[in-house]
Amino acid sequence: MTTLVAERPEPAPPRPWRFPSFERRTVAGGPVIACDVPGRPLAMVLLVLDAGAVTEPAGKEGVALLLARALSEGTRTKSAYEFAVAGERLGANWRADTDWDAMRCGFEVPAGELQAAADLLAEAVRDPGLDDETLLRVRDERLDEVRLELSQPGPRAGMAFVDAVFSSDSRYAVRDGGDLTTVAALTPDDVRAFHAARFAPDAATLVVVGDLAGTDVDALGRSVFEGWTGTATPVAPPVVSTRGENKRIILVDRPGSVQSMLYSGHDAPARAVEDYVPMTTMALSLGGMFSSRLMYRLREDKGYTYGAYGGYDCRRHGGVFVARAAVHTEVTAPALADTVAEIRRMHDDGLEEDELDLARRYRSGIFPINFAGSPAVAAGLSDLIVHGFPDDHFDRLRAQIEAVTTDEVNTAAQKRLRPDDLVNVVVGDASVVAESLGEIGLGPVQVVTDEA
Amino acid sequence: MTVRGTLLALHLPRLTAVPTLPSYPFSRHRLDNGLRVVISEDHLAPVVAVNLWYDVGSRHEAPGKTGFAHLFEHLMFQGSKNVSRNDHFGLISAAGGTLNGTTWCDRTNYFETVPANHLETALWLEADRMGGLLDALDQDNLDNQREVVKNEKRQTRDNQPYGAWLELLHEHGFPESHPYHHTTIGSMADLDAASLEDARSFYSTWYAPDNAVLSIVGDVDTDATLAAVERYFGGIPAKGSFPQPPSTEIAAHIGQEIRRHVPDRVPVPRAFIGYRCPPFGTPDFDAVEVLGTVLGGGRGSRLYKALVLDRPLLQASDGDIMSSWPFVGGASLTVADLPAREGVDIAELEAAYHELADAAATQPPTDEEMTRARALITSEWLHHLANVDGRADMFSQFTTLFDDPGLVNDMLPRVLAVTPEDVARVAGEVLRPDNRVVLVFEPEAAEVAA
Repeated sequence: MTTLVAERPEPAPPRPWRFPSFERRTVAGGPVIACDVPGRPLAMVLLVLDAGAVTEPAGKEGVALLLARALSEGTRTKSAYEFAVAGERLGANWRADTDWDAMRCGFEVPAGELQAAADLLAEAVRDPGLDDETLLRVRDERLDEVRLELSQPGPRAGMAFVDAVFSSDSRYAVRDGGDLTTVAALTPDDVRAFHAARFAPDAATLVVVGDLAGTDVDALGRSVFEGWTGTATPVAPPVVSTRGENKRIILVDRPGSVQSMLYSGHDAPARAVEDYVPMTTMALSLGGMFSSRLMYRLREDKGYTYGAYGGYDCRRHGGVFVARAAVHTEVTAPALADTVAEIRRMHDDGLEEDELDLARRYRSGIFPINFAGSPAVAAGLSDLIVHGFPDDHFDRLRAQIEAVTTDEVNTAAQKRLRPDDLVNVVVGDASVVAESLGEIGLGPVQVVTDEA
Repeated sequence: MTVRGTLLALHLPRLTAVPTLPSYPFSRHRLDNGLRVVISEDHLAPVVAVNLWYDVGSRHEAPGKTGFAHLFEHLMFQGSKNVSRNDHFGLISAAGGTLNGTTWCDRTNYFETVPANHLETALWLEADRMGGLLDALDQDNLDNQREVVKNEKRQTRDNQPYGAWLELLHEHGFPESHPYHHTTIGSMADLDAASLEDARSFYSTWYAPDNAVLSIVGDVDTDATLAAVERYFGGIPAKGSFPQPPSTEIAAHIGQEIRRHVPDRVPVPRAFIGYRCPPFGTPDFDAVEVLGTVLGGGRGSRLYKALVLDRPLLQASDGDIMSSWPFVGGASLTVADLPAREGVDIAELEAAYHELADAAATQPPTDEEMTRARALITSEWLHHLANVDGRADMFSQFTTLFDDPGLVNDMLPRVLAVTPEDVARVAGEVLRPDNRVVLVFEPEAAEVAA
């Protein structure tokens, strides 16, 4: 005989949590942020550089990512192989990536090896090899990667989406890593010029996170900044303009697809927008967690998909809102119609108080889980640098989330969702889905055919 | 029954550049109904991970029922006796937590990470579906989740370039009679045929406290937690006995080279080369892990140097060129993933790969190679154990598979004790032409060029 506890338990009182405390120092003229999180055997040493995709010169889209990749391909004194082994024998894992607003590079490394890792990081950043042969190889490897992405439904939809939303003079019209055309046109001189223009101590911040009991943080800072001179070349903010040709369906033909990848969305405000918290909390209920409306309708109710998601990507100079799902080919048109209907319902009717309560609790409660490890804390600190947030940003953000009201959220839904102005992208088998897509009132269907 | 685990000092080989290894405290317990419980306190953050492994996976599926263990896992999120259909996700989300479940050949796991004050919410939800799923299971849930799972298969495999590789590797790496011959996702036909009666029977057969391990890691008090576990799970009766799973007995080697060309909508050719290797938990599997790191783990590995840096044959990747798939049932797989660079002849890439793989038997790793491999394996291990969720999963894994939660602390020293001679020996035994499946994906001939 099974006996189960029928009553759901009440939670115990919550225990306090704050974002880990950290300190800012200036070492050898360079900014250093150190965050001591005792008990964590792995640490992060990360350099955050104002060298994101928006700082690329026009026509050089993708050069930032090539530079990020090239940093670990050898220095003036070490071959690519020697550099790799020098890090790996410490148990250090090199990380280098770019997004729109920053480049980040460094190591996740056992805390006891932070100094050696910082020395290697300094060498990679200040004295990279960047010879022609290496840079051409890195470029060709990136082209291979873009070709693979073109063959994958999700990335292919993302490319078509930004191309349809933003006008061609806008940096956001091409993904942050560039596309086949822009990457193919990049030369070794372009990469070296970008390094010369963007890599300077006034555009860099060193972030160190981990159990720092045995670490001389100033010495890490000196490794990176001492003797490093020069200033980053000022760049104008990027052009951000939209095509204004929304309310249409771009159908990227992918013959034989057993699913269609759906993207539906529009441009969105930059991170600094005043209603960021109500807007993104609303988006959480729409498609940002498992208990969201999109997930419920497309997956749990209809069984159209393995997962449906929606939300904002807010950058320093602009952003996008997008809802997305990979759906069975047979249900492509009704699934897209349902996606748009959920966006419209949120816009028109807003959220009920109990839905908002769930989103608020989820978003507030998740902070200690999201910032559990050194890499996650380092990523949070990197956000502070990129957006110029105050030191108590995450604690304030959490308080703002807990205080957000239904009125604020529903006002944001009306202002920040544009259900009559959606760009819809479908990557799927046009011969099967084109006709029905034309019959759901979401605008004309434009078929795009990729070269084989 | 309660057994307090004692922590033994770690005896490590003398190594350079390997950090002091943490030793995570834990205690193990067993309820009267057979539920094994591991509790490990970690007070660094006010969070707790609850992780439940059931000793059932796709290995236990009957013929014609492939994919069922995984489909069933989905049904476990559709409500139970005291939990309504959307509450499983809803209550954990409202607690500020995360949750999921996964199915694999050797097990099914369910897990939540929540703020520590919500520990009992997670325990209550897990207990309710362990003991009371059948009250909520119905045809609508089954039909809905069947479509979800079919879309999962389409999204992760059928609609992706190279997406068939894992299924093909299992199909050719294990004979039809072996339970690893099919993958966890199963076949569309078998998913279509799954009935409500299958689900009820599967649950009644395998889902019971004496076929499960519950691990709790985080900001908790051990005694209070154990009392709570007793309160929520103690009333679920033991099942007592379980069917003998299908035999996993298998020859150590495949016996011949199996080669398949797979035309696909892909941009470049890519070869997957899989070998049968010793099962997870044996010292020789540990040696295979070190071999994989020396040969194809990280950018300082032999394969990366030869095929990416010295000759531009292989597409560079952050991922490892070689990886091992730990199975306990008779044999594991170790796999080389070889995507060709644009314009490179896949045969040339494959030949260059075999040259290095073959040489591994006669060229044991140098001291420098061993230092690098040990350091990488150590940091990867520390990375997995860094957060409470990963650590809870490891406690469940080692208790379920080997009845030894202490392997969370003791497994890494074992891998670090592998010698260069061990590495060369397993290379000779595993990386043999008569023990490999070679899958070569190639772009389909351009059809009706537009």
